Formats: sequence, C-alpha cells, structure tokens
Amino acid sequence: MVKLLIIEDDEAAAGSLKRGLVEAGYAVELAHDGERGLQQAQAGDHDLWVIDIMLPGRDGLSVLKTLRDQGRRTPALILSALGKVDDRVEGLRVGGDDYVVKPYAFDELLARIEALLRRVRSFGSGPETMLELADLKMDLLSRNVTRGGQEIDLQPREFRLLEYLMRHAGQVVTRTMLLENVWEYFFDPQTNVVDVHISRLRQKIDKSFATPLLHTVRGRGYILRPEA
Amino acid sequence: MFGVWLSLVLLLCLLGGVAGFWWLQRRRQQQKEALLRRQLVSVTQSSRQTGDNIAHDLRTPLTRLRADVEDALRHDDSEMHRATLERVLDEIQNMQNIVNALLALSQAEAGVMRVRKKTVDLSGLLEELIELYIPSAEERQLTLQGRIAPNLNIEADRQLLARIFANLFDNELKYVPAGGTILLTALASGPHVEIRVEDDGPGIPVEMRDKIFERFARLDPSRTLSGGSGLGLSLVKAFAQLLQGEVRVVESSLGGAAFILTLPASAAELSKPSP
Repeated sequence: MVKLLIIEDDEAAAGSLKRGLVEAGYAVELAHDGERGLQQAQAGDHDLWVIDIMLPGRDGLSVLKTLRDQGRRTPALILSALGKVDDRVEGLRVGGDDYVVKPYAFDELLARIEALLRRVRSFGSGPETMLELADLKMDLLSRNVTRGGQEIDLQPREFRLLEYLMRHAGQVVTRTMLLENVWEYFFDPQTNVVDVHISRLRQKIDKSFATPLLHTVRGRGYILRPEA
Repeated sequence: MFGVWLSLVLLLCLLGGVAGFWWLQRRRQQQKEALLRRQLVSVTQSSRQTGDNIAHDLRTPLTRLRADVEDALRHDDSEMHRATLERVLDEIQNMQNIVNALLALSQAEAGVMRVRKKTVDLSGLLEELIELYIPSAEERQLTLQGRIAPNLNIEADRQLLARIFANLFDNELKYVPAGGTILLTALASGPHVEIRVEDDGPGIPVEMRDKIFERFARLDPSRTLSGGSGLGLSLVKAFAQLLQGEVRVVESSLGGAAFILTLPASAAELSKPSP
C-alpha cells in the first residue's frame, strides 16, 4: 500500500484530506506541527509527503529543506496559503516537487499526488521514445502519431497535449495541470481555453474510431484510457 | 608649495563630493517620501469605496448560499441535498476567484508582488496566447487575429505578461458579440512596445473609459449578469504598472474598444520594427 505523510496543522482540513485519500486507497499518516512532521518523515518510509508551508513552530519549507539536506528524496507536494505568489518558486527551490494553493479542490490534490507517484515510478527507466495506449501510438522521435495504423496530423501544441495525457494515461489530469505542463502558465484564465483544445484533440484521435480514448471526468478534468 | 595646494584642492573636491552625495541622497529621500504620501492618500481614498464594493460582491453570493442551504435543511431529500451541495461548491469557487483576484490586486498595487524580469520573446508569447485563445474565440463565433512585429524582446515577467493578455482576451470574449473580430497588434515604438487589443464590439462610452479599470466596475449595472470577478481590468492595470507600463482604452478604428498597453523595452534588446 502506498504510504503518505501529511504535515498540516489545521486538524479539520487534515482530517477531511485523510478521509479522502484513504478512500482513494492510500495509507495516510498525519502530523500537526513541523517538529513532529520532521520526526515522522525521518522515521517513516513514506512514498510521498504533503507539507503545508504555514506550520506552528517550524515552517514547512524549513522541514523540507532539512529533509533534503539529509539526502532524503521522497517526493514532496507543498501546500501554501492562498495566493502567496513567491511560495511556489520558493517551495520548488527548497526541493518541493509540486505545489498546490489553498484552498484547493480535493480532486486537484489527488490528481497531483497520483502524477507525482507515477513520475517517481517511471524514473530511471530511461527516456521513452514511443508511447502507446490501445491502438494509439506516438513516436516521440519522428513525432509521428497513428491510431489503428492510420496517421493523425497534430499541431505542435496538440502533440504536447497528447504527450502529457499519454504519459499520465489511466489517471485524471486537471485543467490547471494541463495549463502548467503543456502551456507553462501558472494561472487559470476565466475562459474555458483548455476544454476547447481538448475537444479539438478529441476530434482528431477519437472521432472516426469505435472506442473513444479521451474522456471527460465531470468536475475533475480529463483521462486518457481505453475503456469508458 | 605645489603639494600643499594640491592637497587643499583634493580636500575641497572630497568635501564637495561628500556634500553632493549627501544632498542627492536627501533629495531622493524627500522624493520617496512625497511619493509615499501621495500613494497613501490615494490608497485611503480608494479603499473605502473598494471596501463597499467587496462587501457587496461577497454579500450577494453569501445571501444565495445561505438561502440555498437553509432551504435544503428544511427538506429531507438526499437528491436535493446533493444538488444544493453542488451549487454551494460552484458558489464557493466563484467567491474563491474573487478573493484570489483581490489578493493578487492588493499585492500588485502595494508593490509586494515579486516581479521576475527576464528577457521575454514578446512576439512569441503573444503568438502563443493567440493560439491558446483561438479555439475559444471560434467557439463563440469570434475571429481572433494577431499582427505582431517579429523579434520584439522586452525585459519583463513572462507570467505577469501572460496574465495581462489572458485577462484582456477573457474580457473581449465576454463582451464582443458573436460574429465580431478581435485584433491584437504589437509593434516597437521608440523605447517602448505598444500592444493594442481591439474589437468591433459595442465599445466603451467616453465617460466610462477611466472607470472600467476600477475594482468591480462593470458597464452593466446589474453586475451579476456577466459572471467573472469584475477585477480583470483592474488586474491588467496593476500588472502593467508593476512592469513600468500603462494601459488605457480608446475608440478603435474597428468601431469598438481598443485597449492600448505600453511597456518599456530595453533599447538594446529591441529590434527594429518590421517595415
């Protein structure tokens, strides 16, 4: 079972988060202040840490920095207070792997935890040159995309979008994740820009085929997978 | 004798230098203080009005939330409860957007938002943003076009620049009626770059042209009609100022509104405008 440690001082928020993550199939340990969080992180063999920045006593950035200085490479997702713009850069600088702003949507956090865990698992397997899902094939070197042997013509951005979805196949990705990773924008426009790009991509990869691969998960985001 | 004179002259130069430096420092300090005083006065004046608007804009969704939840509690219907919770979540998201925008705005206006300036390929960024928005524009039967001079490089923060244009495009997509055209033009003009975002929509009446950059200002007095936080253009203005630029709105030759953003570009980085 995948083990998570959540260091978060707001007990009510931490409790709801724990319930949601346990329901999603994770084993979850909680710590409510920085000192104890640090001790638990040092003592445990967690697969991922979720660390709030604002903690009583020792703040989350200092906890993470200490852990990194000790050579611990467990992936860390940072939670920050609303809108502190610099926290993202600061958090990633001390060794955070991803970053979510409070108040967050549970689904956003869950999707990012899953993406991080997957990134760690695929680490070291060498650079991939070919991505495959059912009869959809993506050659990253020749930039050739085919489905059922039939060539699909994609714009450069559509290629990056599909590549990201393929790398996270079977897993929900949110609009914010797509904006950050495919377009490199760290803010959410008011217009549904991502949705329209997704529906264009869907036209190209799904329209003339019997089984759709790109699915909308209502209220959460998108998922690329062979079954509905 | 010459040595004595030389020492005397050197001493005088040194004293003059020290005095000059002190005088310059003091003048800078005075200018800074005057600027701070002016900013303080303007902040106090605007903050009362802003407070009223924030209260209004947060009280409206709060009223709706409260009525909705009370209604649900009076009934014992799990399907209805679920529908209520979904509406509550949407409403929370709206309020969160307003609070986030307000926070960004006050950080930008107070100058505490960190600006990470680097050389940005503005031409490339604008092409990218147009590419990002074209499908959404087409979905609304709008034509979005760019006429962007090549190789416009400026010293700026890429994320802030992108947020400025995303906000302007969000605004255009909301207000330009179907069938309309939105045009973005970017060119070098002396030590600046000038970027226009204009349309053939209904335009903005002269008396409203300064007001639309104020918080929660909407041309439509019913306020709730268009959705959105009512802070998009205020953010555009605050971010432009953070980048030592400015934004104004005039009438477009296309017939609608033209937002003109002027940003400084370091002359060395700036290429010649294309012929």
